[in-house]
Amino acid sequence: MNKEEFISSGLLELYAMGISSEEENLVVEENLKLFPELKAELSEIEMSLESYALSNAVEPSSSVKQKVITQIFHGTTVKQESESVPVVSINRRNPIPLFYKSIAAAVFILLIGSFILNYTYFNKYHTTQQQLDVAQQKLDEQETANQAMSRDLNVVTDRYALPVVLNGTPNAPEALAKIFWMKNTGQVYIDPSNLPKVPAGKQYQLWGIVDGKPVSGGMIQTSKGLYSIQKMKSFGKVDAFAITLEKTGGSPTPTMDEMIVSAKM
Amino acid sequence: MAETIKYNEEELIQLLRTSDQSAFEYLYDNYAGALNGVIYKIIDDQHLAEDILQEAFVKIWNNFSSYDSSKGRLFTWMLNITRNLTIDTVRSKSYKKQAKIQNSEIAVSYTSNNINENDKFDALGIRKQTMLLKEDQRRVIDLAYFEGFTQEEISKKLGIPLGTVKTRMRTAISVLKNLLQSKN
Repeated sequence: MNKEEFISSGLLELYAMGISSEEENLVVEENLKLFPELKAELSEIEMSLESYALSNAVEPSSSVKQKVITQIFHGTTVKQESESVPVVSINRRNPIPLFYKSIAAAVFILLIGSFILNYTYFNKYHTTQQQLDVAQQKLDEQETANQAMSRDLNVVTDRYALPVVLNGTPNAPEALAKIFWMKNTGQVYIDPSNLPKVPAGKQYQLWGIVDGKPVSGGMIQTSKGLYSIQKMKSFGKVDAFAITLEKTGGSPTPTMDEMIVSAKM
Repeated sequence: MAETIKYNEEELIQLLRTSDQSAFEYLYDNYAGALNGVIYKIIDDQHLAEDILQEAFVKIWNNFSSYDSSKGRLFTWMLNITRNLTIDTVRSKSYKKQAKIQNSEIAVSYTSNNINENDKFDALGIRKQTMLLKEDQRRVIDLAYFEGFTQEEISKKLGIPLGTVKTRMRTAISVLKNLLQSKN
């Protein structure tokens, strides 16, 4: 291939544009050595392209030059400015879809609502329970009172009950006590509700006079200062009943000075 | 380009061989824009383009001893280094990943930048000269010279016969040669 043929082959243009193959490069470089005048031809093509490249120039940011100079002449790489760090913008974060946000909000509201209802209903339940307890207690008291009354009534209405009225002695003319003596069983019930209020440290004691001797019929219980019909000791036969005021717990023998009521059968 | 000194290529190469900083700055001032323009033809990302430009100049500096002026002009050598570096970057995995993430905003800002730069060159009257190239000629030159496609690749890419590519290329270079001669 002579010089003219080589020029017309177009290889120089490809070489100048840097798109020739390795083999083509060797051919071009060989010819450049063989024909030094080809260098001028190549330079002309290169300068034409260079001029085209210059006309397509895009000036880089002014900071680039300083970075390059620092890196080359001061041996350090200028750290990238923060602005040049690839920005992953905030709105690029995977946002939680509004749908799920709504669900979460709804669940939260329901939960709060449930707490409030639980609290309210628990309070209501608690109050109701207390009221129920009070009512139950009242009912129990009523029941007890009813039983007592019905027992009292049974005593009074028993067909074998012999009512005995113990009248007040000169010690206590206003005092009165009633005894219901069951003739069939000998059981003795006393209604002490008309006895005077018992002084502190004292207690009424029932006595039965059997064969001329006083026999204790038991202590009369008072509950909260009130008297109710109560069962005493049984007497098979008795000549008289008497109630004396004794010290709490009773005495083996009656204190005759303190006789309040008595009745002869 | 505040430099008032004007070196011819041989002088500049001599100075560069002595690792002269002012020679390097001259080189940068005169060619950074052209090389950056080449990178921009391949990559639409200003930051990445400037990173590559920086890397290219460092490589040019570090490998300057391997430049052989008998094989071609300095700019041709620099352009090849820059172009190869850019193509390598585009082919790298990390770039492909990032390219997916980048949104069109960058491309938009780049385009408007580019228009401004072109306006600047319009003022210098150079762009007007290159506009004498027909669009299809420009396309072939851009793909080959700036993006490194071979004639065969351009033929496939543009869907035109290889002969047409060769013809357009030679015609375009003739036009550029004539422009250069008329300027001198």
